[in-house]
Amino acid sequence: MTENSPETPRDWLRSVVARYEGSLVRYAARITGDAERARDVVQDTFLRLCEQDRAELDGRLAQWLYTVCRRRALDVRRKEHRMQATIPERLDLASDSRNGQADVAEQQELHQAVLALLAGLPENQQEVVRLKFQSGLSYREISGVTGLSVSNVGYLLHVALKTVRQQLHVNSTSGASTPGASAGDHS
Amino acid sequence: MNRDQHTQMPADGAEHSSPNGRQEIDEARLTAYVLGELSGEEHAAEREGIERELAESEAARATEAEIRRSVELMTAALATEPAGALSAANRERIEEKIAANEVPAATLPLSRMRRFRRPLAAAMAACLALAIVSSLYLPRGNRTVSTLEGIAHFSEAATDESDNVVGEASQFKSDFHNAMKAHTPPQKAFATGKKSKSSGLDLPLRTMHGSAAELAEFPPGIPAEKNSHRVPYTINKPVYETKSRAAAYGPSVNGSVDDPYELDLAANGGRVGNRLGGRQGELSEGRDGLLDRSKARGYIAFNTEGYSRIVENPFLEVRQNPLSTFSIDVDTASYANVRRFLNQHALPPKDAVRIEELVNYFKYDYAPPADDAPFAVHAEIAGCPWAPKHRLLRVALKGREIDFNNRPASNLVFLIDVSGSMDQPNKLPLLKAALRLLIDRLSENDRIAMVVYAGSSGLVLPSTTGDRQAVIAGALEQLQAGGSTNGASGIQLAYETARQNFIRGGVNRVILCTDGDFNVGATDQGALTRLIETEAKSDVFLSVLGFGDGNYKDAAMESLADRGNGNYAYIDNLNEAHKVLVEQAGGTLVTIAKDVKLQLEFNPRRVAAYRLVGYENRMLRNEDFNDDAKDAGEIGAGHTVTAFYELVPAGDDSPAAPVDPLKYQQTVEPSEAAASDEVLILKLRYKEPDGAESKLIESVVKDAGRSFAQADADFQFAASVAGFGLLLRDSEFKGDLTFAAVLELASASRGADEEGYRAEFIGLVKQALAVGGVR
Repeated sequence: MTENSPETPRDWLRSVVARYEGSLVRYAARITGDAERARDVVQDTFLRLCEQDRAELDGRLAQWLYTVCRRRALDVRRKEHRMQATIPERLDLASDSRNGQADVAEQQELHQAVLALLAGLPENQQEVVRLKFQSGLSYREISGVTGLSVSNVGYLLHVALKTVRQQLHVNSTSGASTPGASAGDHS
Repeated sequence: MNRDQHTQMPADGAEHSSPNGRQEIDEARLTAYVLGELSGEEHAAEREGIERELAESEAARATEAEIRRSVELMTAALATEPAGALSAANRERIEEKIAANEVPAATLPLSRMRRFRRPLAAAMAACLALAIVSSLYLPRGNRTVSTLEGIAHFSEAATDESDNVVGEASQFKSDFHNAMKAHTPPQKAFATGKKSKSSGLDLPLRTMHGSAAELAEFPPGIPAEKNSHRVPYTINKPVYETKSRAAAYGPSVNGSVDDPYELDLAANGGRVGNRLGGRQGELSEGRDGLLDRSKARGYIAFNTEGYSRIVENPFLEVRQNPLSTFSIDVDTASYANVRRFLNQHALPPKDAVRIEELVNYFKYDYAPPADDAPFAVHAEIAGCPWAPKHRLLRVALKGREIDFNNRPASNLVFLIDVSGSMDQPNKLPLLKAALRLLIDRLSENDRIAMVVYAGSSGLVLPSTTGDRQAVIAGALEQLQAGGSTNGASGIQLAYETARQNFIRGGVNRVILCTDGDFNVGATDQGALTRLIETEAKSDVFLSVLGFGDGNYKDAAMESLADRGNGNYAYIDNLNEAHKVLVEQAGGTLVTIAKDVKLQLEFNPRRVAAYRLVGYENRMLRNEDFNDDAKDAGEIGAGHTVTAFYELVPAGDDSPAAPVDPLKYQQTVEPSEAAASDEVLILKLRYKEPDGAESKLIESVVKDAGRSFAQADADFQFAASVAGFGLLLRDSEFKGDLTFAAVLELASASRGADEEGYRAEFIGLVKQALAVGGVR
């Protein structure tokens, strides 16, 4: 991804906004369950960024953004009494029509299945999975954002991946094997 | 609320609670390993443990493969979820706040401010930059969106905006990208324009260059480690933006102006003319005429390019260190990269300058091997142009020439980065044009496959014979950028494809085309290089072609090529593509020897101290020379490799740092052979491309006492290129060398220069003279 890191604070801020806007809104929407509120949360996050000493964020910018964004989103959710918000499968976030190439229908189906299985996982597993594979954060950064220990992050990721893997396998072999004896269990 | 009450489930807790606990932990560790979380030094032991287990256990490997697959699948599935976007109102509010932010100079961290060479001038530069930036943004008012878009493009721009604003935004975006192009001609317009010395832009720009170099310096005290020490840092460099694209590109050689990508080539066409002997002045004059200066908006852009720190080889005393061992390097990327900076009217960051890659960029007329050895080795000693009392030793290798049409059949797998960051005119479109050059020359004996990688990776062209040009060109044409980069799975798929179509005795090569920004999913740099290292054991070679600028990860790519038995070139324009993929296709594709190592033993009666110029990240331990397990550089057909040693003759004051005499040992006395007039013995080891055992070549070198002026033109030209590198690096060993002196040396030794590369070099020295001054 193009990442400009300009020397003047204004350009730097603009580049940070451009770079993180998409993924932060998507992340916040998962928490607030509402795209509009997610946008406001992300706006607040960026406004706070403007007040930060850039030097202090050096090397931990992503972690800082996700941490602040998460805290704001949780606040909003609490205030709005959306404690048990049901998160829609597809959020109307943007009319993004990015069509990856070489994507055959079969592959799209598989991706849909994976996302559906992911949606069935506990919320904390979903969150670390998204922070890792969608936002590209490291275990340590995820630990910083969520307050989970690094080893816990690793454990949750592993369990999430394994569950999805096994359920996919079960689905594809239409019950021919039990979850315990599925693909991931070679060792 | 349940987000605040995450079940804390530490790993050891799980071990007790589940009967499968042990296995769960192992799989969690394996997952961490696959995700590159164990790449740091602190995890070395754990990592090695896992790697041992993987090597020994079939079951562990199966589990690892499962995990990799599910990581890839998860990454790909999540990549299909749309990113969000702020509303116009959100953006306006944020932009207001940004615009109200403090004056840039005041918010720069103090530590950085102190490092400006000339504080006053720096402040002036900052003010000017601010003025320019303000004039760019403030009057634009409701066009904030397009402004943001230009700074770092995000494709999801402004769903809430009215159509015409989006239209403006994308226009702005393409303007911006064109302005970002490496060698935007308008810079030359500035260069020409400032001859009067009265241009208001001149001083601040220079100052910014000076400070750029300063900022690019590392804080002192960072230990230097060979190869492994990659510290990304920020440099700033000016890029000028012009509003009119047509004006910026000047006369189109290719004619078609409708196609934006043809326009790029047109810009490069200017460079062809340059090389063919047209004077640079004439060309830029022509562009000046077209450039509507009233529309030119100055704009200072910045970038985050990653370079590894280079610590120069010091002088070493022959009595303490009689042996010097290093691996050859045929890469040329650094030269093209340095050229990009100079053409942008900026000095390159010091660590972007690898002297050996500058020197090796040029063709030299070394005698090819007489017998059927893969290459010939030559050594010559003459005067040193930057240290009159010292001698300069040139070691020159020449690979056997192979006629492209008689080359072995090729099995090529293009591994193409189609992530969002490649969506710039000087990346994917240039890449397509470059590959077309190569594909045009392939025949039915060759096989080509294409693998793309981004959020997901896939085989877009199964291995196809070279005569099916339409199929290949069609697949190439359909490539489009989108998504984020996950190098690892693509690399695995590419190597797999190469192995499936392996041609015994032929050329088997993966050609990775990328801007090097691997940033998502199962990828960290360490995991990626280890992956390449493993794959490279399969006799499939690797070429890395680097594209683009602004976020160019030089260090990452060089390290990949090094680990993958490969070569690495930086493609900044179509001419460079032509050089790498057509003129030198033999060298790029056909490896004639691998693991080529050199060891020199100096005669203490003849030489007091020596210093290898460049090759800093190619140094080997003396023990590694005879160790066939130690990887080293490859040489391709027709390649020339040149290395310089600066020698201090015996009896002269040694510049090497003095060491106290040893208490428990006596200095070894010189042998009888030392009494001869031999200066050194040169030993070289290499392996055949598919060989496992090395062969040894030895020759002794004497000094005929030639002065620098008596050396042949190739010697003189190569030495002037090395000297240029010393100056660009602001080396402590540059002696009394100046850019002006380099210009004189290079001009005098230019020779026939049929392709015009040397003329171009002379042009770059002039650029440096104009930009640098101080150095």
